[in-house]
Amino acid sequence: MVFEFMSRILGRKNRPGSKDLAKERLKLVLAQDRVDISPQMFERLRRDLATACAKYVEIDAANMDVRFDSGDRTLALVASVPVIGTKRDSYNSRRRGNMG
Amino acid sequence: MNGKVMVVTSGKGGVGKTTAVANIGCALAVRGKKVALVDADIGLRNLDIVLGLENRIVFDIIHAMEGRCRLRQALIRDKRVQTLFLLPAAQSKDKDAIMPEQMKELTSELADEFDYVILDCPAGIERGFKNAIAGAGSALIITTPEVSAVRDADRIVGLLEAEGIEEPKLVINRLRPDMVKRGDMLDIEDVIDILAIDLVGVVPDDETVITSTNRGEPAVLDGVSRAGEAFRRIAARIEGEDVPFLSMEAPSFWGKIKRFLGAGR
Ligand SMILES: Nc1ncnc2c1ncn2[C@@H]1O[C@H](COP(=O)(O)OP(=O)(O)OP(=O)(O)O)[C@@H](O)[C@H]1O
Ligand SMILES: [Mg+2]
Repeated sequence: MVFEFMSRILGRKNRPGSKDLAKERLKLVLAQDRVDISPQMFERLRRDLATACAKYVEIDAANMDVRFDSGDRTLALVASVPVIGTKRDSYNSRRRGNMG
Repeated sequence: MNGKVMVVTSGKGGVGKTTAVANIGCALAVRGKKVALVDADIGLRNLDIVLGLENRIVFDIIHAMEGRCRLRQALIRDKRVQTLFLLPAAQSKDKDAIMPEQMKELTSELADEFDYVILDCPAGIERGFKNAIAGAGSALIITTPEVSAVRDADRIVGLLEAEGIEEPKLVINRLRPDMVKRGDMLDIEDVIDILAIDLVGVVPDDETVITSTNRGEPAVLDGVSRAGEAFRRIAARIEGEDVPFLSMEAPSFWGKIKRFLGAGR
């Protein structure tokens, strides 16, 4: 029991205050609230974005991260799209494949 | 006279709108301004009991709107602060008993006679909210430092903007310095950062709000209440004075002694 008590105190000390989490969560949810875009529309935006990117580079669409970010009552669309390879790579590898 | 019509709103319920209206209104009246407080929370009348005026109601806002009495007759004058008046809500009707247009007329009629017309808005964003903001020229948004209240406040900012009420001012209520200190409550900067509107005051979580409400005497009339002092400063800022923000440090031992002796403010 003493151990439990001690570890609870220590654990508490190491745990960051809950307010940082509160702020982080609020920022994300407010960005979504402020755009007021339906999940369906958002999914379409995501897909179109992936299609557009895929025209120029090879991307990992499953792992792309698209979200709205909001500060000072302005909005930004932030996207992180993992690039697996350039078109040149894929073009070359395909050519090589064809020759083999 | 061409008074200021100001709505006090929050989205979320129970964050301190009625408390703020009673205290800020009372503080403005103590400063010599002629103030009319309008309880726009039809069906859930509260401002009367918070102000200790519940036994003096004869007519209410609906009577005045329907022409069953003159507006003047429905206004209750506060006995402690002679320039403070209350227009009580109707208790038996519901929010649909009023139309935004009627509210506009009523508040502009009041603004002819008063320096400040302050509306206590119901929680929510439906009809009652639309009525309360209809005649307002400015807005005070009340929030507590909690995720749900801040989220709702953000929604209100957007709705007010859409209605042409620009630049609402923010009041953060029920701040707990001890929790802020250990990183377990959003602090003042966090809330301003998230909502991105101007701050007009911070009110600590304070037992004297409850005890003064029990007595029907706004905390601003109590010289040693911390919350009362915070509300007095908000009134001063509304009047355009540049007053420093109340220190939100948890009171020190000596601070407590001084307050106990009635010397500290
Ligand atoms: N600074 C404070 N410190 C302590 N208690 C407070 C403070 N502000 C408000 N309260 C208490 O919180 C409760 C809700 O306050 P109040 O009735 O003013 O909120 P409201 O926003 O008007 O609620 P509603 O949405 O139901 O109209 C009351 O019991 C009040 O005494
Ligand atoms: Mg209320």
